[in-house]
Amino acid sequence: MKGLLLGVFWAHLSSCVLLVGTFFMLLLAGLPRAATARCWDRRLVRGSRLLVFVAMGSGIVWLLIRTAVFENRPQAALEPRAVSHAVLDTWPGMVWLARHGLLLLLAAFLAMRANVAERRNWIAARGEALALAALALALTSASSHAAAITPGTLWAVAVDVTHLVGTGLWVGGLVALALLLGAASREDGADARPYAVLAARRFSRAALMVMLLLMASGVLNAIAQVESVAALAGTTHGRLLLAKLGVLLPILVLAAVNRTRILPALSAPSVPVGRSAMRRLTAFVGLEAALALILIVLAAAMTLTTPARHAEPTWPLPFRLSLDVLVDVSAMRWRALLGSQLAVAGLVALIAACLVRRRRVPVLASGLALVAIGAGVGVFPLVVDAYPTTYKRPLPTYHAASIASGMTIYREHCAGCHGATGAGGPLADLRSPPTSRRHAGEIFWLISHGIPERGMPDFGSRLGEARRWDVINFIRVLGAAEGAKTLGSQVELNRAWLAAPDFTVAVGPLAPGALRDHRGRRMVLLVLYTLPESRARMAELARSYDVLSVIGVEIIAVPIHASSEAIRELGSSPPVLFPVVTDGNGDIVAAYGMFAAGPHAEILIDRQGYIRAIWRGDGGGMPRASVVQAQVEKLNEEKSPPPFPDDHVH
Amino acid sequence: MPVWQVALVLNLTFAVGLGLGYAGWGRRAEALDREFDAARAQVERLERERAACRPGARAGEQQWEGRGVVRATYPQLLVITHEEIRGLLPARTTSFRAASPTLRESIRIGDPIRFSLQGTVADDAAVVAVEQW
Repeated sequence: MKGLLLGVFWAHLSSCVLLVGTFFMLLLAGLPRAATARCWDRRLVRGSRLLVFVAMGSGIVWLLIRTAVFENRPQAALEPRAVSHAVLDTWPGMVWLARHGLLLLLAAFLAMRANVAERRNWIAARGEALALAALALALTSASSHAAAITPGTLWAVAVDVTHLVGTGLWVGGLVALALLLGAASREDGADARPYAVLAARRFSRAALMVMLLLMASGVLNAIAQVESVAALAGTTHGRLLLAKLGVLLPILVLAAVNRTRILPALSAPSVPVGRSAMRRLTAFVGLEAALALILIVLAAAMTLTTPARHAEPTWPLPFRLSLDVLVDVSAMRWRALLGSQLAVAGLVALIAACLVRRRRVPVLASGLALVAIGAGVGVFPLVVDAYPTTYKRPLPTYHAASIASGMTIYREHCAGCHGATGAGGPLADLRSPPTSRRHAGEIFWLISHGIPERGMPDFGSRLGEARRWDVINFIRVLGAAEGAKTLGSQVELNRAWLAAPDFTVAVGPLAPGALRDHRGRRMVLLVLYTLPESRARMAELARSYDVLSVIGVEIIAVPIHASSEAIRELGSSPPVLFPVVTDGNGDIVAAYGMFAAGPHAEILIDRQGYIRAIWRGDGGGMPRASVVQAQVEKLNEEKSPPPFPDDHVH
Repeated sequence: MPVWQVALVLNLTFAVGLGLGYAGWGRRAEALDREFDAARAQVERLERERAACRPGARAGEQQWEGRGVVRATYPQLLVITHEEIRGLLPARTTSFRAASPTLRESIRIGDPIRFSLQGTVADDAAVVAVEQW
């Protein structure tokens, strides 16, 4: 089914693209006067009538297949009710209807037998056909991957429209130009040669602009749809994009040869000289057009695959480059610096070789050598091991429940070698910065497959995927808790680095909320308390709640010892009006207890979701509410808040 | 008719038709949306007024139902952390007037409760009935 869908969609896209380019090329070349050129004009119009029918026919087949896929029943493709539902009740269906309405209008317009001998009539006829074809092609973006991007849908669609229409102008124009050059390079086409040369020159100039637009819009599209190198190399969508670039490269080489070598040769006034060059240009342009049609196959396949940013990347290489090694080994920093400087010198030499003719070969050779040596010196130290799951996205979020589950699994399966705190010797220290900096997907691979040479068994067969990710969330907290030891009661301005694990705020049977509900809105003072030690402190917080609330702080109290009577146990004088978690305390205490253990602890989480200050100790050793207030006011003064932390560990 | 005139008429028809059609359809859809919201609010209000209908009820008095957890009790006041009360308040902690001082006798701090409110607006809504959730 997928192959059929791809074939049909390619036929549809190609015919729409060719329609746009055909009329663009006709307008660019201008009203033909010579007999051969007029014959080319008529051939193109006849061909475009056929293209409209191919576009509409393939469009209808495409709709029927999509209906079957949409309904998940092959027979639905032949049921008028299902098809009308797919057309009238879905957004892609509405877009399909609008596009095919335009194609129908174009077909009617092209079917009209009118006299276009007069220049303005000819321009109006070709211009109108171009406008209708371009609009039908551009509307494809309204139901493409770009239309699903939020926020910034309008911008993404505008970029996609530019890319699509640009492709139409360029690819369709190439085919039309190849036909003109072919006709003019024949023996009986001499009358059209000046016209063809002029058309080729005009197209060359226009194609350069269109290609620049295509590259810019393509880069923007790739940034929006692919987002990362991992997604580019590790997903079907990303690999199709790489294949597209692979096909684009020879096209650009051909275009450069055409522009710099063959087009100037067409300047010769004599007919025989021009003809031989024209034949070569015909062959090159034809080849360029054929490659461009292959490019459209890849573009159609990309449209039918999940965008890379939504797909799970499978890293294809056994290594990746990482700058982390520079942090751990200072000698590497010098090596990388030396390598980068050598490579820069090499690049300068290469640029000089391109600009200056004198001693070009030795300069070019030394430039290449410097780049190669620079890469050898600077890049190889950055190579670290990588696995297929290196960029895999964790199943559970960085949530207290997952961390607590991971803690239990860790104690059962891992603590024996790694120690209860994760400090299990030089090779097994899970709190060390190198372990903390490893990608979560790498740790997932190592847990799943083990490290036989170090005696670590594989847990892939013993623990389910979600449970392995729970352990990774816990390992992340082990490292974070080690770093959090430096975090005290004073907020350090503009230094947010410790992401607060999310947790569920369940107060009685009310619909539960979450820490992340406060993101971008309020700070949270998370209070882990024990009664009766914390009673005085809780009373003080209850009295200060109004003031703290006004300056943007929500207090969330979590009793360390779970109790369904938690709210009642806090008493009524003064009344405690902030949320007191009555369900799921164990998870929050397990996760946040790693940062601040004890009978009483208070953790200040900023609006973005980072832990900014920790007060550890018993209830009596806590600061006055005014001290907390002072830290909150400091945070309120922060000018550039950091971005929200990711919901998943990396 | 020359082709350039055909193209011109076609484009003008297309642009004007599209513009008028969109504007007309858009305005109509917007007006229908507003009417629908107003009708729904009216129906909800009438339902609340019918629920509040009793001898001696004030004009425009409505009844709302809510669920929450008791946070503090006073003879004239109940402080409740509640879910959204449709047509009155979002989910939050609110202090409500108690219609009767005896209401607090059946509840304790921390109790999950269902409660009924009566009044004309949020500011004069009073808890008239309470039961365990």
